[in-house]
Amino acid sequence: MVVLVAVAALAGVAVRTLGQQDARQVATADARFAASAAATEIAGDLLLLQQVTAKLAANPQVPAIIGLPAGPCTLTFAGASPFSAGHLDVIKSDGSVKCSSRAIAPGAIYGAASWLQAAINSPVTAAPFLDPATGEISAVVAAPVAGGAGVVAAIVELAPVGPSLAATLGGARQLEFLVTTNHDTTVLARSLQPSRWVGQPLAGTAFAGSAGTGERSDLDGRTRLYDRSAVGSTPWFVYAGADEAAALAAGDLSSNRELAIILGGAGIMLVVIFVVYRRIVDPIRQLSLVIRGSTVGGAVDTVGMMGASEVTGLAEDFAKLMATVKSELVERLNSEQVAVVSERNYRTLFEGHPQPMWLYDVDTLAFLEVNDSTCERYGYTREEFMAMTICDLQQPQDIPKFLELQAMPMPISDRTGPWRHLLKDGSTTQVLITSHPVIFGDHHARFVLAEDLTESQRLELELVESHARAEHSAELSRAKDEMIAVVSHELRTPLASIVGFAELLATRDVTAAQRNDYLAVMLQEGRRLTALVNDFLDLRRLEGGHLSMRFAPADIKALITRAVELFSVPGGTPIELRLQDDLPLVRVDGDSVFRVIANLLSNARKYSPLGGSIIVGAAVLNGMVEIYVQDEGLGIPAQALTRLFGKFYRVEAADRGAISGTGLGLAICKNIVESHGGKVGARSEGLGKGSRFFFTVPIVREEAQTGDVLIVEDDSGFAHLVEAELEARGLSSIWAADAETAGHLVTRARGVVLDLLLPGLSGEAFLHRLRATRGAGIPVVVVTLKDLAPAESLALQKAGVTAVLRKGPGTASTAADLLSRSLAAELVAI
Amino acid sequence: MSLHTPTELDLQRTVLIADDESSIRLLVHATIESDDYTVVEASDGAQAWTLAQQLKPSLVLLDVQMPGQSGLEVLRSIKADPNLKATRVILLTSKAQERDIEVGLIAGADFYLTKPFSPLDLLTRVEEALEL
Repeated sequence: MVVLVAVAALAGVAVRTLGQQDARQVATADARFAASAAATEIAGDLLLLQQVTAKLAANPQVPAIIGLPAGPCTLTFAGASPFSAGHLDVIKSDGSVKCSSRAIAPGAIYGAASWLQAAINSPVTAAPFLDPATGEISAVVAAPVAGGAGVVAAIVELAPVGPSLAATLGGARQLEFLVTTNHDTTVLARSLQPSRWVGQPLAGTAFAGSAGTGERSDLDGRTRLYDRSAVGSTPWFVYAGADEAAALAAGDLSSNRELAIILGGAGIMLVVIFVVYRRIVDPIRQLSLVIRGSTVGGAVDTVGMMGASEVTGLAEDFAKLMATVKSELVERLNSEQVAVVSERNYRTLFEGHPQPMWLYDVDTLAFLEVNDSTCERYGYTREEFMAMTICDLQQPQDIPKFLELQAMPMPISDRTGPWRHLLKDGSTTQVLITSHPVIFGDHHARFVLAEDLTESQRLELELVESHARAEHSAELSRAKDEMIAVVSHELRTPLASIVGFAELLATRDVTAAQRNDYLAVMLQEGRRLTALVNDFLDLRRLEGGHLSMRFAPADIKALITRAVELFSVPGGTPIELRLQDDLPLVRVDGDSVFRVIANLLSNARKYSPLGGSIIVGAAVLNGMVEIYVQDEGLGIPAQALTRLFGKFYRVEAADRGAISGTGLGLAICKNIVESHGGKVGARSEGLGKGSRFFFTVPIVREEAQTGDVLIVEDDSGFAHLVEAELEARGLSSIWAADAETAGHLVTRARGVVLDLLLPGLSGEAFLHRLRATRGAGIPVVVVTLKDLAPAESLALQKAGVTAVLRKGPGTASTAADLLSRSLAAELVAI
Repeated sequence: MSLHTPTELDLQRTVLIADDESSIRLLVHATIESDDYTVVEASDGAQAWTLAQQLKPSLVLLDVQMPGQSGLEVLRSIKADPNLKATRVILLTSKAQERDIEVGLIAGADFYLTKPFSPLDLLTRVEEALEL
């Protein structure tokens, strides 16, 4: 409030000061304007008078008037402000008035006038002079009449000029006008007391000799601000004085008005502030106090008060909000308390449980949490556990199995064991593990309970294990009995024929034809028996892992081609080959895989009693080479497909009753293929729809295809011997069981041990190709059982072989020696 | 399989041999071949049962282990058929199929022979069965 009053006061002072300044400026401007306006008016009037007189003087009648004695003439003086009073005369050069707008007095009136002689020759404007006609101080504007006869003069009174100016230009503003002659010597007109001043010299007044402008006290007691202006073509000046006091009074009036407005405004503001304070600020302050006073736990005060409806509405809303917040807070506090208590309870359960428990991350296998019992039982501290994974509890030999188990999808709840866990002191303990998945923080975890095996559990476990062993052995024994029964049946059938026919032959007289028939059956059944025994023994060896396989790189195309040649019947439907180009070498026991292919081809022929095409194909499939044999024969019923590879299983269908077989062929095939790491299978659309048997074998790894010496030898035993002898001399070797395979491998070897009698392509043919492609540089030692004809020996000599050795004791060693020497010489030569 | 026409068979007694092994059929046939009766062969159980119904044989020599219908099934069918009341059955088995022998005898087989069998024994059993 005080501030407001002070501001209003300051504003008032400022307004007053500014008002005074403004009043002076206004007065000065008024004076300047009035002076200028008055000068313009005087000059304008003078110019009008000059034009009027000049025009009249030029009138041709005027000389006549001058020449005549005073006669009748009429002139009218139309006075204008400020020269409102005066008369227009035609004056003869002697000063006598010949015609006048007023009544002419007799006698020469203006003869003594100083301006007359000058005016006879040229226009004259002069003042002041005492007009003898009127007795008034006047000004004259005269124009000469042609011929120097006289002049036309307008004579105007000066006394009314000042008041006239003040009346037309000053208005109510109390302006003062002063018109002076050249050099401010004489007063021509004045608005104040004109009768006293007109025609009087200025000497002795404040106007004399100065510019006459500025502040000046006047006769009427007023102080005026003066300015002056020159009057057009005359040497006269017009001074105009504006009343400073009047301007100040006007300024005061306006500044007082402004002050009143300011104070009024301030008052209105005070009222508004008061109302605002009462109606808005106070309620808000109360509301704020209530809000500040509202605590989480405390009761919410109702904000009861009056004020603007918005504010009371706000207060009500706030009260509702606070009530809601409070009830929610109370609820949350309660549930948090419950949660805290519950967590504490669970933690106590976990920490205090007498059995070891832990949580681990299923992705990293790292421990996430262990209980006290775990630390106690395993001997590690909690910190140590946090840096470990659950693998650290496993014995090294169990880790692979353990990791394998971890990698498999785990059941929701899992109970496994017993596991032998490693304790920190290096000892072990047997535990049963119960686990289930949980989300722990942002980990996918598993909760584990580890139970120590109690004595009774251990006994129980042993009992279970021994039961399992017993069951397993009982199962084995059952299987064995079954097998014996099957084998016995399979053996008895051919035996029955052999023994039976033998007895018939021995006891009866038979015809020659009958004897031949009987003997043929006996021979056939005897062979069948042999095949059966051989197959069965092979299978036993395969199953027991006793049939030794010699895996070596092999050209599968050559193996297939040889098998197909074996089963091609002259004149029969040819077996079609569909072999992928550039088949890679496979890693197989050549004889065994040949047997598989042969067996499948044999079945294809046997079970296609009506013929039909047979296709043998091979292609790379999923990193293996797949070989298939497809026929258009009897086909296989769907239910038989899975049992096909079992021992002594034969499809029971009338259409194949006459087809003999041991029932072991496919079982042998399966064993051979699986011992190569391959898979075997069969497909058929059903009976009469043909069938397709397929198996896979591995591709040779690149690094298994190199060695110092390439041994080309179909006899794996001899090849093995040579290999050992070479190794003893520090030479590595690769073995090829046929020349076709050798053809793929020879570029990777520096020397060759070559057998001549090979399946498929012969040793000689291979040598020929070798010399053609690699020249004579590579040493070749030939080992053979063959009795060489002289021509053959010569051909070998020509082919540049290092030596030809006949297979026998010590041959392998000699061959190795020779090659070793050749290769050493080659090294020296380099 | 040698099959005579039924008109001829009407006059003679018939012996049916059922075995999936052709060599055994040949052996049995050779052993028991006689002018006193006609010998008919079947190579599986289903065929054996069909022929038994058609021919009403006096004797069936039945291999226990045959594809399709086994010998024991054919035996049960024969024993259940009132038309075949007079038909005698001899089982041919492997020694290992002792359980089958027991089942067969209970089911009504008259005798059994285990492979390998003596042809002379077989002949004796056949003649006994036919009461020659």
